[in-house]
Amino acid sequence: MDFSNAISESTSDVFSTMVMLDAIPGSPLAEKVLSFSDSITGMLGFSGDIRGILRIHCPNPVAMAITGNLLGMEVTEMDEDVRDAIGEIANMVAGGLKTLLARENYAVELSIPSAIGGKTYTIHRLARAANVTVPFALEAGQMLVELEYLGTT
Amino acid sequence: MNWEPNIIAATTEIFSTMLMMEVVPEPALSERVTKHNDSISGIIGLAGSYKGMLAIHAPAPVAMTITTNFLGMEVDSLNDDVKDAFGELANMLGGSVKSGLSENSRDIQLSIPSAVCGEEYTLDYQPKNRTTSVPFKTGEGTFVVELQLEKQE
Repeated sequence: MDFSNAISESTSDVFSTMVMLDAIPGSPLAEKVLSFSDSITGMLGFSGDIRGILRIHCPNPVAMAITGNLLGMEVTEMDEDVRDAIGEIANMVAGGLKTLLARENYAVELSIPSAIGGKTYTIHRLARAANVTVPFALEAGQMLVELEYLGTT
Repeated sequence: MNWEPNIIAATTEIFSTMLMMEVVPEPALSERVTKHNDSISGIIGLAGSYKGMLAIHAPAPVAMTITTNFLGMEVDSLNDDVKDAFGELANMLGGSVKSGLSENSRDIQLSIPSAVCGEEYTLDYQPKNRTTSVPFKTGEGTFVVELQLEKQE
């Protein structure tokens, strides 16, 4: 299964129907991005035929633009609304991926969304897990959607 | 829902059998800690008949001591060994909580673990209820195990 296409499809769907912001997918990155500054990462773990984590990494201005559009209000600081909104975006994108995976006969169950944010943080992945990261260009900057997974051959 | 007994059972089991470390539970926190400084967090999602996530948060010195006990090697910074150890700890704690909740190991499934570290970061998740945080004392300082879990109908 082509996971980068699945990420693009699911993310574009969420952005066109729920967030109402243009998010243009680029080519998958060759390397994992490990460290983030003034950013927020929405995460959602899932398990079943494939085990993994979906992550959405947004620099603060991108996160505030997404939250503003999602909630229909102006957002000027990285508050709880933003942390909830970016977790919710991860939840929606993972929900879309779950549907796409089901079409390929992979059943997965989702855990709950969480969000990590801060001035500087590093995310460590399992060395043996596969990883696909697709960048999306938004007016406010670049967002990365990453799928880390184990269990397909 | 109060997950204190589940957290204490899993944490004392893993620390005594896998790390040969005595850890002493303190009363559960009345409010969860959102912000972490110079710390590391191991995180894992749970999905299936119970849905949620487990996280273990430790300040750098405590994290290094735990890793030394776990891997039997000296560590002097939050390097990849510490990050691997915290992902694996979250995985083992999740596994222990899971087997305490269901006799059928397929009812609840774990996502893959990840670890986050940094000078200053926050961790939030949704929903915010049904969460319990228990601090544990070690010779080097205190770490916190946090569990958010909801039974699915």
